[in-house]
Amino acid sequence: MEEPRKVLQVSGLHVKVKAEQGMLSLIQDIHFDLKSGQVLGLVGESGSGKTVTCNSLLQLLDRKNTIVEGSIQLNGRELNGLKAEEMRRIRGKEIAFIMQNPMSAFTPVYTIGMQFIETIRTHTMLTKKQAIELAVTSMEDVNLPDPPKLMNLYPFQLSGGMLQRVMIAISMCLRPSVVIADEPTTALDVVNQLQVLRQLDRLRLEYGTSIMLISHDLGVISELADEVAVMQHGQIVEQANVFKLFDHPQHAYTKKLLNARPAFPLQQLNRESV
Amino acid sequence: MLLQVKDVTHSYGVPRLFWRSDRRVPVLSDISLTIEQGMCLGLLGTSGAGKSTLGKVILGLEKPRQGQVFFQGHDLYSTDIQTRKVLRRDLQVVFQDCYSSVNPRMTAERIIGEPLDNYERLSLNEQKRKIGELLEMVGLNPEDMRKYPNQFSGGQLQRINIARAIALKPKMIVLDESVSSLDMVNQTHILGLLRELKSVFGLSYLFITHDIKAAYSICDGLAVLEKGELVEMFDDKDRIFASSHATVRSLISSILSEHPRHRSLSLDGDPT
Repeated sequence: MEEPRKVLQVSGLHVKVKAEQGMLSLIQDIHFDLKSGQVLGLVGESGSGKTVTCNSLLQLLDRKNTIVEGSIQLNGRELNGLKAEEMRRIRGKEIAFIMQNPMSAFTPVYTIGMQFIETIRTHTMLTKKQAIELAVTSMEDVNLPDPPKLMNLYPFQLSGGMLQRVMIAISMCLRPSVVIADEPTTALDVVNQLQVLRQLDRLRLEYGTSIMLISHDLGVISELADEVAVMQHGQIVEQANVFKLFDHPQHAYTKKLLNARPAFPLQQLNRESV
Repeated sequence: MLLQVKDVTHSYGVPRLFWRSDRRVPVLSDISLTIEQGMCLGLLGTSGAGKSTLGKVILGLEKPRQGQVFFQGHDLYSTDIQTRKVLRRDLQVVFQDCYSSVNPRMTAERIIGEPLDNYERLSLNEQKRKIGELLEMVGLNPEDMRKYPNQFSGGQLQRINIARAIALKPKMIVLDESVSSLDMVNQTHILGLLRELKSVFGLSYLFITHDIKAAYSICDGLAVLEKGELVEMFDDKDRIFASSHATVRSLISSILSEHPRHRSLSLDGDPT
Protein backbone atom coordinates (compact mmCIF):
# COMPACT_ATOMS: atom_id res chain seq x y z
CA MET A 1 0.00 0.00 0.00
CA GLU A 2 1.16 3.47 -0.84
CA GLU A 3 2.50 5.43 2.08
CA PRO A 4 0.41 8.60 2.54
CA ARG A 5 2.30 11.74 1.58
CA LYS A 6 3.50 14.02 4.34
CA VAL A 7 1.74 17.33 3.87
CA LEU A 8 2.89 19.30 6.83
CA GLN A 9 6.15 18.69 8.63
CA VAL A 10 6.92 20.60 11.77
CA SER A 11 10.20 20.14 13.54
CA GLY A 12 11.89 21.85 16.43
CA LEU A 13 9.28 24.54 16.78
CA HIS A 14 9.97 27.03 19.55
CA VAL A 15 7.95 30.15 20.20
CA LYS A 16 9.17 32.86 22.52
CA VAL A 17 7.52 36.08 23.45
CA LYS A 18 9.03 39.30 24.73
CA ALA A 19 7.88 40.08 28.22
CA GLU A 20 8.91 42.30 31.07
CA GLN A 21 10.96 39.50 32.59
CA GLY A 22 12.79 38.89 29.33
CA MET A 23 12.08 36.22 26.76
CA LEU A 24 9.27 33.94 27.82
CA SER A 25 9.10 30.56 26.17
CA LEU A 26 5.56 29.63 25.14
CA ILE A 27 6.10 26.37 23.32
CA GLN A 28 9.20 24.24 23.16
CA ASP A 29 10.44 21.70 20.72
CA ILE A 30 7.28 20.69 18.88
CA HIS A 31 7.69 17.95 16.29
CA PHE A 32 4.93 16.41 14.23
CA ASP A 33 4.06 15.32 10.72
CA LEU A 34 0.66 15.49 9.12
CA LYS A 35 -0.01 12.98 6.37
CA SER A 36 -2.61 13.56 3.71
CA GLY A 37 -6.11 12.63 4.79
CA GLN A 38 -5.02 12.27 8.37
CA VAL A 39 -6.53 13.94 11.40
CA LEU A 40 -4.11 14.96 14.10
CA GLY A 41 -5.74 15.80 17.40
CA LEU A 42 -4.05 18.24 19.73
CA VAL A 43 -5.33 18.04 23.29
CA GLY A 44 -4.46 19.85 26.46
CA GLU A 45 -5.82 22.11 29.16
CA SER A 46 -6.41 25.78 28.51
CA GLY A 47 -3.09 27.58 28.52
CA SER A 48 -1.08 24.58 27.37
CA GLY A 49 -0.08 26.23 24.11
CA LYS A 50 -2.46 24.63 21.62
CA THR A 51 -3.59 27.86 20.03
CA VAL A 52 -0.09 29.36 20.02
CA THR A 53 1.09 26.31 18.11
CA CYS A 54 -1.51 26.70 15.40
CA ASN A 55 -1.04 30.45 15.18
CA SER A 56 2.67 29.94 14.72
CA LEU A 57 1.99 27.47 11.89
CA LEU A 58 -0.11 30.10 10.19
CA GLN A 59 2.44 32.81 10.97
CA LEU A 60 -0.29 34.78 12.64
CA LEU A 61 1.69 35.75 15.70
CA ASP A 62 2.79 39.31 16.15
CA ARG A 63 6.17 39.42 14.41
CA LYS A 64 7.53 42.22 16.51
CA ASN A 65 7.11 40.62 19.89
CA THR A 66 7.41 36.93 19.22
CA ILE A 67 10.17 34.76 17.89
CA VAL A 68 9.30 31.57 16.03
CA GLU A 69 12.18 29.14 15.63
CA GLY A 70 12.24 25.82 13.86
CA SER A 71 10.94 24.57 10.59
CA ILE A 72 7.38 24.40 9.28
CA GLN A 73 7.21 22.76 5.87
CA LEU A 74 4.02 22.71 3.85
CA ASN A 75 4.32 20.43 0.83
CA GLY A 76 8.07 20.85 1.01
CA ARG A 77 7.94 24.63 1.25
CA GLU A 78 9.34 26.36 4.29
CA LEU A 79 6.75 28.66 5.88
CA ASN A 80 8.69 30.02 8.78
CA GLY A 81 10.20 33.35 7.80
CA LEU A 82 8.13 33.86 4.69
CA LYS A 83 7.21 37.43 3.90
CA ALA A 84 3.79 38.57 5.09
CA GLU A 85 2.79 39.09 1.49
CA GLU A 86 3.57 35.52 0.42
CA MET A 87 2.08 34.06 3.56
CA ARG A 88 -1.17 35.82 2.79
CA ARG A 89 -1.31 33.98 -0.51
CA ILE A 90 -0.89 30.62 1.21
CA ARG A 91 -3.26 31.25 4.06
CA GLY A 92 -6.80 30.47 3.01
CA LYS A 93 -5.68 28.65 -0.12
CA GLU A 94 -3.29 25.98 1.07
CA ILE A 95 -3.82 26.17 4.82
CA ALA A 96 -7.30 26.99 5.98
CA PHE A 97 -8.24 27.99 9.47
CA ILE A 98 -11.46 27.33 11.35
CA MET A 99 -11.76 29.42 14.44
CA GLN A 100 -13.36 28.73 17.75
CA ASN A 101 -15.90 31.50 17.78
CA PRO A 102 -17.78 31.76 14.49
CA MET A 103 -19.54 34.91 15.68
CA SER A 104 -16.34 36.92 15.88
CA ALA A 105 -14.67 35.40 12.83
CA PHE A 106 -16.94 37.23 10.40
CA THR A 107 -17.28 40.95 9.87
CA PRO A 108 -20.75 41.93 10.97
CA VAL A 109 -21.04 44.68 8.35
CA TYR A 110 -20.73 42.53 5.21
CA THR A 111 -23.03 39.78 4.05
CA ILE A 112 -21.97 36.14 4.11
CA GLY A 113 -21.85 36.18 0.31
CA MET A 114 -19.50 39.16 0.12
CA GLN A 115 -17.08 37.61 2.58
CA PHE A 116 -17.26 34.28 0.80
CA ILE A 117 -16.60 35.76 -2.61
CA GLU A 118 -13.79 37.93 -1.29
CA THR A 119 -11.94 34.83 -0.09
CA ILE A 120 -12.44 32.99 -3.37
CA ARG A 121 -11.47 35.90 -5.59
CA THR A 122 -8.31 36.85 -3.72
CA HIS A 123 -6.92 33.40 -4.35
CA THR A 124 -8.25 32.49 -7.78
CA MET A 125 -8.90 34.11 -11.14
CA LEU A 126 -12.60 33.26 -11.05
CA THR A 127 -15.15 35.83 -12.13
CA LYS A 128 -17.72 37.03 -9.68
CA LYS A 129 -20.38 34.82 -11.21
CA GLN A 130 -18.19 31.72 -11.01
CA ALA A 131 -17.27 32.59 -7.45
CA ILE A 132 -20.93 32.78 -6.49
CA GLU A 133 -21.52 29.38 -8.05
CA LEU A 134 -18.58 27.91 -6.18
CA ALA A 135 -19.80 29.45 -2.94
CA VAL A 136 -23.27 28.02 -3.39
CA THR A 137 -22.04 24.52 -4.18
CA SER A 138 -19.64 24.45 -1.26
CA MET A 139 -22.40 25.60 1.07
CA GLU A 140 -24.56 22.80 -0.27
CA ASP A 141 -21.70 20.42 0.52
CA VAL A 142 -21.97 21.21 4.20
CA ASN A 143 -25.75 20.73 4.20
CA LEU A 144 -26.70 24.34 4.64
CA PRO A 145 -30.30 24.99 3.69
CA ASP A 146 -30.97 27.38 0.80
CA PRO A 147 -27.46 28.78 0.11
CA PRO A 148 -28.53 31.51 -2.35
CA LYS A 149 -30.62 33.06 0.39
CA LEU A 150 -27.84 32.71 2.95
CA MET A 151 -25.50 34.66 0.69
CA ASN A 152 -27.54 37.80 1.28
CA LEU A 153 -27.75 37.46 5.04
CA TYR A 154 -25.51 39.07 7.61
CA PRO A 155 -23.54 36.92 10.07
CA PHE A 156 -25.66 37.92 13.05
CA GLN A 157 -28.78 36.60 11.34
CA LEU A 158 -27.44 33.04 11.47
CA SER A 159 -27.15 30.73 14.44
CA GLY A 160 -23.74 29.70 15.73
CA GLY A 161 -23.97 26.22 14.27
CA MET A 162 -24.90 27.52 10.83
CA LEU A 163 -22.17 30.13 10.90
CA GLN A 164 -19.61 27.52 11.85
CA ARG A 165 -20.70 25.46 8.86
CA VAL A 166 -20.38 28.52 6.62
CA MET A 167 -16.85 28.93 7.92
CA ILE A 168 -16.12 25.29 7.10
CA ALA A 169 -17.57 25.84 3.63
CA ILE A 170 -15.35 28.89 3.08
CA SER A 171 -12.27 27.11 4.30
CA MET A 172 -12.92 24.03 2.21
CA CYS A 173 -14.04 25.64 -1.05
CA LEU A 174 -10.49 26.17 -2.32
CA ARG A 175 -9.52 22.60 -1.44
CA PRO A 176 -6.66 23.40 0.92
CA SER A 177 -4.24 20.62 1.73
CA VAL A 178 -4.35 21.38 5.45
CA VAL A 179 -7.16 22.64 7.62
CA ILE A 180 -6.41 23.84 11.10
CA ALA A 181 -9.51 23.65 13.26
CA ASP A 182 -9.05 25.44 16.56
CA GLU A 183 -11.76 24.21 18.93
CA PRO A 184 -14.30 24.11 16.10
CA THR A 185 -17.17 22.90 18.25
CA THR A 186 -16.56 24.43 21.67
CA ALA A 187 -18.97 27.30 21.09
CA LEU A 188 -21.73 25.03 19.79
CA ASP A 189 -24.36 22.92 21.49
CA VAL A 190 -24.12 19.14 21.40
CA VAL A 191 -26.44 18.54 18.48
CA ASN A 192 -24.63 21.05 16.28
CA GLN A 193 -21.32 19.74 17.50
CA LEU A 194 -21.96 16.31 16.06
CA GLN A 195 -23.13 17.78 12.76
CA VAL A 196 -20.01 19.92 12.38
CA LEU A 197 -17.76 16.97 13.18
CA ARG A 198 -19.63 14.91 10.63
CA GLN A 199 -19.01 17.57 7.96
CA LEU A 200 -15.31 17.72 8.76
CA ASP A 201 -15.08 13.97 8.56
CA ARG A 202 -16.89 13.83 5.24
CA LEU A 203 -14.76 16.54 3.68
CA ARG A 204 -11.64 14.74 4.73
CA LEU A 205 -12.82 11.47 3.23
CA GLU A 206 -13.92 13.11 0.01
CA TYR A 207 -11.04 15.47 -0.64
CA GLY A 208 -8.22 13.90 1.34
CA THR A 209 -7.63 17.08 3.32
CA SER A 210 -5.46 16.77 6.39
CA ILE A 211 -6.99 18.22 9.51
CA MET A 212 -5.29 19.47 12.61
CA LEU A 213 -7.97 19.30 15.25
CA ILE A 214 -7.39 21.28 18.39
CA SER A 215 -9.65 20.58 21.32
CA HIS A 216 -9.75 20.15 25.05
CA ASP A 217 -12.64 17.75 24.70
CA LEU A 218 -11.50 14.16 24.52
CA GLY A 219 -14.89 13.22 23.13
CA VAL A 220 -14.23 15.29 20.01
CA ILE A 221 -10.77 13.80 19.70
CA SER A 222 -11.97 10.24 20.06
CA GLU A 223 -14.60 10.81 17.39
CA LEU A 224 -12.38 12.20 14.69
CA ALA A 225 -8.66 11.92 15.28
CA ASP A 226 -6.32 9.25 13.93
CA GLU A 227 -3.30 10.42 15.81
CA VAL A 228 -3.27 12.38 19.05
CA ALA A 229 -0.66 14.69 20.53
CA VAL A 230 -1.06 15.66 24.16
CA MET A 231 0.27 19.06 25.15
CA GLN A 232 1.21 20.31 28.56
CA HIS A 233 3.06 23.52 29.43
CA GLY A 234 4.01 24.13 25.81
CA GLN A 235 5.41 20.70 25.14
CA ILE A 236 4.07 17.59 23.48
CA VAL A 237 4.28 15.03 26.25
CA GLU A 238 2.83 12.12 24.38
CA GLN A 239 1.97 11.36 20.79
CA ALA A 240 0.34 8.14 19.69
CA ASN A 241 -2.34 6.51 17.63
CA VAL A 242 -5.74 7.34 19.04
CA PHE A 243 -6.56 3.73 19.93
CA LYS A 244 -3.23 3.22 21.61
CA LEU A 245 -3.54 6.47 23.51
CA PHE A 246 -6.99 5.70 24.89
CA ASP A 247 -6.13 2.10 25.73
CA HIS A 248 -2.61 2.47 27.03
CA PRO A 249 -1.82 6.02 27.99
CA GLN A 250 1.87 6.29 28.84
CA HIS A 251 2.35 9.72 30.32
CA ALA A 252 0.91 10.63 33.73
CA TYR A 253 -0.69 13.76 32.30
CA THR A 254 -2.51 11.79 29.60
CA LYS A 255 -3.89 9.50 32.27
CA LYS A 256 -5.03 12.53 34.25
CA LEU A 257 -6.83 13.92 31.21
CA LEU A 258 -8.49 10.61 30.50
CA ASN A 259 -9.65 10.38 34.09
CA ALA A 260 -11.04 13.89 34.00
CA ARG A 261 -13.97 12.87 31.83
CA PRO A 262 -17.28 12.98 33.66
CA ALA A 263 -18.42 9.53 34.65
CA PHE A 264 -21.15 8.32 32.39
CA PRO A 265 -22.82 4.96 32.04
CA LEU A 266 -20.98 3.70 28.99
CA GLN A 267 -23.01 0.55 28.54
CA GLN A 268 -26.08 2.70 27.98
CA LEU A 269 -24.28 4.48 25.18
CA ASN A 270 -23.03 1.34 23.54
CA ARG A 271 -26.50 -0.02 23.32
CA GLU A 272 -27.31 3.29 21.71
CA SER A 273 -24.82 3.01 18.88
CA VAL A 274 -25.69 -0.58 18.00
CA MET B 1 -41.32 22.59 48.15
CA LEU B 2 -38.62 25.15 47.48
CA LEU B 3 -39.49 26.37 44.04
CA GLN B 4 -42.58 26.01 41.97
CA VAL B 5 -42.99 27.25 38.44
CA LYS B 6 -46.61 27.33 37.42
CA ASP B 7 -47.86 27.60 33.84
CA VAL B 8 -45.22 30.09 32.81
CA THR B 9 -45.64 31.50 29.33
CA HIS B 10 -43.33 34.13 27.99
CA SER B 11 -42.59 35.87 24.73
CA TYR B 12 -40.23 38.56 23.57
CA GLY B 13 -41.52 41.50 21.60
CA VAL B 14 -40.02 42.52 18.29
CA PRO B 15 -40.05 46.30 18.07
CA ARG B 16 -42.42 47.94 15.67
CA LEU B 17 -40.72 48.77 12.40
CA PHE B 18 -42.42 51.35 10.14
CA TRP B 19 -45.74 49.92 9.05
CA ARG B 20 -45.25 46.46 10.51
CA SER B 21 -47.39 45.76 13.53
CA ASP B 22 -46.05 44.49 16.83
CA ARG B 23 -44.89 40.94 16.71
CA ARG B 24 -44.12 38.66 19.60
CA VAL B 25 -41.81 35.68 19.48
CA PRO B 26 -42.94 32.93 21.84
CA VAL B 27 -40.12 31.71 24.09
CA LEU B 28 -41.77 29.66 26.80
CA SER B 29 -45.17 28.05 26.75
CA ASP B 30 -46.93 26.54 29.73
CA ILE B 31 -43.93 25.47 31.73
CA SER B 32 -44.61 23.91 35.12
CA LEU B 33 -41.99 22.33 37.30
CA THR B 34 -41.00 22.02 40.93
CA ILE B 35 -37.71 21.77 42.73
CA GLU B 36 -37.51 20.32 46.23
CA GLN B 37 -35.03 21.38 48.86
CA GLY B 38 -31.64 19.75 48.27
CA MET B 39 -32.51 18.52 44.81
CA CYS B 40 -30.68 19.26 41.61
CA LEU B 41 -32.68 19.58 38.43
CA GLY B 42 -30.92 19.58 35.08
CA LEU B 43 -32.49 21.63 32.32
CA LEU B 44 -31.41 20.32 28.93
CA GLY B 45 -32.03 21.61 25.46
CA THR B 46 -30.32 22.88 22.33
CA SER B 47 -29.46 26.54 21.86
CA GLY B 48 -32.53 28.68 21.47
CA ALA B 49 -34.78 26.30 23.36
CA GLY B 50 -35.55 28.85 26.05
CA LYS B 51 -33.38 27.41 28.82
CA SER B 52 -31.77 30.67 29.83
CA THR B 53 -35.05 32.57 29.67
CA LEU B 54 -36.58 30.08 32.06
CA GLY B 55 -33.54 30.56 34.29
CA LYS B 56 -34.07 34.32 34.27
CA VAL B 57 -37.77 33.92 35.00
CA ILE B 58 -36.93 31.74 37.99
CA LEU B 59 -34.36 34.25 39.23
CA GLY B 60 -36.93 37.02 39.14
CA LEU B 61 -35.13 38.93 36.42
CA GLU B 62 -37.67 38.54 33.66
CA LYS B 63 -41.36 38.89 34.41
CA PRO B 64 -43.25 36.23 32.47
CA ARG B 65 -46.29 37.24 30.43
CA GLN B 66 -48.39 34.64 32.19
CA GLY B 67 -47.96 32.27 35.08
CA GLN B 68 -46.34 32.41 38.49
CA VAL B 69 -43.09 31.51 40.13
CA PHE B 70 -43.28 30.54 43.78
CA PHE B 71 -40.11 30.52 45.81
CA GLN B 72 -40.53 29.32 49.37
CA GLY B 73 -44.24 29.85 49.01
CA HIS B 74 -44.07 33.50 47.85
CA ASP B 75 -44.91 34.57 44.35
CA LEU B 76 -41.72 36.24 43.14
CA TYR B 77 -43.44 38.72 40.89
CA SER B 78 -46.30 39.93 43.08
CA THR B 79 -44.72 40.29 46.52
CA ASP B 80 -43.60 43.64 47.80
CA ILE B 81 -40.02 44.72 47.41
CA GLN B 82 -39.00 43.94 51.01
CA THR B 83 -40.08 40.32 50.76
CA ARG B 84 -38.36 40.07 47.42
CA LYS B 85 -35.15 41.31 48.89
CA VAL B 86 -35.34 38.62 51.55
CA LEU B 87 -36.14 35.98 48.95
CA ARG B 88 -33.30 37.06 46.66
CA ARG B 89 -30.88 36.21 49.41
CA ASP B 90 -31.69 32.54 49.07
CA LEU B 91 -31.61 32.54 45.30
CA GLN B 92 -28.25 33.00 43.63
CA VAL B 93 -26.85 32.57 40.17
CA VAL B 94 -23.63 31.59 38.37
CA PHE B 95 -23.47 32.40 34.66
CA GLN B 96 -21.51 30.84 31.83
CA ASP B 97 -19.22 33.70 31.01
CA CYS B 98 -17.13 34.12 34.13
CA TYR B 99 -15.29 37.19 32.81
CA SER B 100 -18.37 39.25 32.12
CA SER B 101 -20.11 38.40 35.37
CA VAL B 102 -17.53 40.20 37.49
CA ASN B 103 -16.52 43.83 37.55
CA PRO B 104 -12.98 43.95 36.12
CA ARG B 105 -12.07 46.87 38.37
CA MET B 106 -12.91 45.14 41.62
CA THR B 107 -10.62 42.84 43.53
CA ALA B 108 -11.77 39.34 44.38
CA GLU B 109 -12.36 40.56 47.91
CA ARG B 110 -14.83 43.21 46.81
CA ILE B 111 -16.51 40.86 44.36
CA ILE B 112 -17.21 38.26 46.99
CA GLY B 113 -17.86 40.92 49.62
CA GLU B 114 -20.66 42.57 47.68
CA PRO B 115 -23.50 40.25 48.74
CA LEU B 116 -22.18 40.41 52.31
CA ASP B 117 -22.26 44.22 52.20
CA ASN B 118 -25.84 44.11 51.03
CA TYR B 119 -27.25 41.63 53.51
CA GLU B 120 -24.97 41.21 56.48
CA ARG B 121 -23.45 43.86 58.62
CA LEU B 122 -20.06 42.48 59.45
CA SER B 123 -17.08 44.33 60.81
CA LEU B 124 -14.19 44.73 58.39
CA ASN B 125 -12.13 42.03 60.03
CA GLU B 126 -14.99 39.60 60.20
CA GLN B 127 -15.81 40.19 56.56
CA LYS B 128 -12.21 39.63 55.55
CA ARG B 129 -12.10 36.39 57.51
CA LYS B 130 -15.36 35.26 55.95
CA ILE B 131 -14.10 35.98 52.43
CA GLY B 132 -10.92 34.05 53.17
CA GLU B 133 -13.00 31.10 54.34
CA LEU B 134 -15.13 31.25 51.22
CA LEU B 135 -12.07 31.30 48.99
CA GLU B 136 -10.68 28.29 50.78
CA MET B 137 -13.99 26.53 50.45
CA VAL B 138 -13.90 26.84 46.65
CA GLY B 139 -10.29 25.69 46.51
CA LEU B 140 -8.48 29.00 46.15
CA ASN B 141 -5.87 30.62 48.30
CA PRO B 142 -7.11 33.33 50.75
CA GLU B 143 -4.15 35.42 49.56
CA ASP B 144 -5.87 35.64 46.17
CA MET B 145 -8.42 38.13 47.48
CA ARG B 146 -6.20 41.04 46.51
CA LYS B 147 -6.11 40.00 42.86
CA TYR B 148 -8.17 41.40 40.02
CA PRO B 149 -10.28 39.25 37.65
CA ASN B 150 -7.74 39.44 34.81
CA GLN B 151 -5.18 37.76 37.03
CA PHE B 152 -7.28 34.62 37.31
CA SER B 153 -7.81 31.85 34.80
CA GLY B 154 -11.32 30.97 33.64
CA GLY B 155 -11.61 28.07 36.06
CA GLN B 156 -10.40 30.14 39.01
CA LEU B 157 -12.74 32.99 38.17
CA GLN B 158 -15.66 30.59 37.97
CA ARG B 159 -14.72 29.48 41.49
CA ILE B 160 -14.89 33.11 42.59
CA ASN B 161 -18.34 33.38 41.05
CA ILE B 162 -19.34 30.30 42.99
CA ALA B 163 -17.85 31.76 46.18
CA ARG B 164 -19.94 34.88 45.66
CA ALA B 165 -23.04 32.78 45.10
CA ILE B 166 -22.59 30.75 48.29
CA ALA B 167 -21.50 33.74 50.43
CA LEU B 168 -24.96 34.14 51.92
CA LYS B 169 -25.64 30.43 52.28
CA PRO B 170 -28.51 30.46 49.79
CA LYS B 171 -31.08 27.70 49.38
CA MET B 172 -30.87 27.55 45.64
CA ILE B 173 -28.37 28.41 42.90
CA VAL B 174 -29.22 28.70 39.23
CA LEU B 175 -26.23 27.48 37.23
CA ASP B 176 -26.65 28.77 33.70
CA GLU B 177 -24.11 26.86 31.58
CA SER B 178 -21.66 27.42 34.40
CA VAL B 179 -19.15 24.81 33.27
CA SER B 180 -19.61 24.93 29.50
CA SER B 181 -16.80 27.35 28.74
CA LEU B 182 -14.22 25.55 30.84
CA ASP B 183 -11.84 22.86 29.68
CA MET B 184 -12.35 19.22 30.65
CA VAL B 185 -10.07 19.20 33.68
CA ASN B 186 -11.52 22.38 35.15
CA GLN B 187 -15.02 21.22 34.34
CA THR B 188 -14.53 18.08 36.38
CA HIS B 189 -13.08 20.07 39.28
CA ILE B 190 -15.95 22.55 39.31
CA LEU B 191 -18.56 19.79 39.08
CA GLY B 192 -16.86 18.08 42.00
CA LEU B 193 -16.90 21.31 43.98
CA LEU B 194 -20.59 21.88 43.23
CA ARG B 195 -21.44 18.36 44.31
CA GLU B 196 -19.54 18.85 47.55
CA LEU B 197 -21.21 22.18 48.32
CA LYS B 198 -24.56 20.61 47.64
CA SER B 199 -24.02 17.95 50.27
CA VAL B 200 -22.51 20.36 52.81
CA PHE B 201 -25.18 23.07 52.61
CA GLY B 202 -28.10 21.07 51.30
CA LEU B 203 -28.24 23.37 48.27
CA SER B 204 -30.64 22.97 45.39
CA TYR B 205 -29.45 23.62 41.88
CA LEU B 206 -31.12 24.38 38.62
CA PHE B 207 -28.41 23.21 36.25
CA ILE B 208 -28.96 24.67 32.79
CA THR B 209 -26.84 23.03 30.11
CA HIS B 210 -26.78 21.42 26.71
CA ASP B 211 -24.26 18.85 27.84
CA ILE B 212 -26.00 15.70 29.02
CA LYS B 213 -22.78 14.29 30.43
CA ALA B 214 -22.23 17.22 32.79
CA ALA B 215 -25.90 17.26 33.79
CA TYR B 216 -25.91 13.54 34.40
CA SER B 217 -22.92 13.70 36.69
CA ILE B 218 -24.49 16.21 39.07
CA CYS B 219 -28.27 16.16 38.76
CA ASP B 220 -30.98 14.07 40.40
CA GLY B 221 -33.68 14.83 37.87
CA LEU B 222 -33.62 16.04 34.29
CA ALA B 223 -36.01 18.15 32.25
CA VAL B 224 -35.79 18.56 28.49
CA LEU B 225 -36.87 21.77 26.84
CA GLU B 226 -37.50 22.25 23.16
CA LYS B 227 -38.73 25.41 21.45
CA GLY B 228 -40.06 26.71 24.74
CA GLU B 229 -41.94 23.58 25.63
CA LEU B 230 -41.13 21.16 28.35
CA VAL B 231 -41.08 17.94 26.37
CA GLU B 232 -40.16 15.53 29.12
CA MET B 233 -39.37 15.41 32.83
CA PHE B 234 -37.42 12.66 34.49
CA ASP B 235 -37.42 12.46 38.27
CA ASP B 236 -34.84 9.73 38.01
CA LYS B 237 -32.04 10.73 35.66
CA ASP B 238 -31.42 7.19 34.45
CA ARG B 239 -34.84 7.04 32.90
CA ILE B 240 -33.75 9.45 30.19
CA PHE B 241 -32.09 6.59 28.34
CA ALA B 242 -35.37 4.76 28.01
CA SER B 243 -37.16 7.77 26.55
CA SER B 244 -38.57 7.49 23.07
CA HIS B 245 -39.13 11.20 22.45
CA ALA B 246 -37.37 12.44 19.31
CA THR B 247 -35.75 15.48 20.95
CA VAL B 248 -34.43 13.45 23.84
CA ARG B 249 -33.17 10.80 21.45
CA SER B 250 -31.29 13.34 19.36
CA LEU B 251 -29.69 14.78 22.48
CA ILE B 252 -28.61 11.35 23.61
CA SER B 253 -27.33 10.29 20.23
CA SER B 254 -25.15 13.37 19.98
CA ILE B 255 -23.16 12.45 23.05
CA LEU B 256 -19.63 11.91 21.83
CA SER B 257 -18.02 8.58 22.41
CA GLU B 258 -15.49 8.18 25.17
CA HIS B 259 -13.33 5.82 23.24
CA PRO B 260 -12.47 5.75 19.53
CA ARG B 261 -13.83 2.24 19.35
CA HIS B 262 -17.34 3.53 20.00
CA ARG B 263 -17.30 6.26 17.40
CA SER B 264 -20.69 7.39 16.26
CA LEU B 265 -19.37 8.90 13.03
CA SER B 266 -19.44 6.65 10.04
CA LEU B 267 -15.76 6.06 9.50
CA ASP B 268 -13.94 3.73 7.24
CA GLY B 269 -13.12 1.45 10.11
CA ASP B 270 -9.95 1.17 12.09
CA PRO B 271 -7.19 3.36 10.63
CA THR B 272 -4.45 0.99 11.72
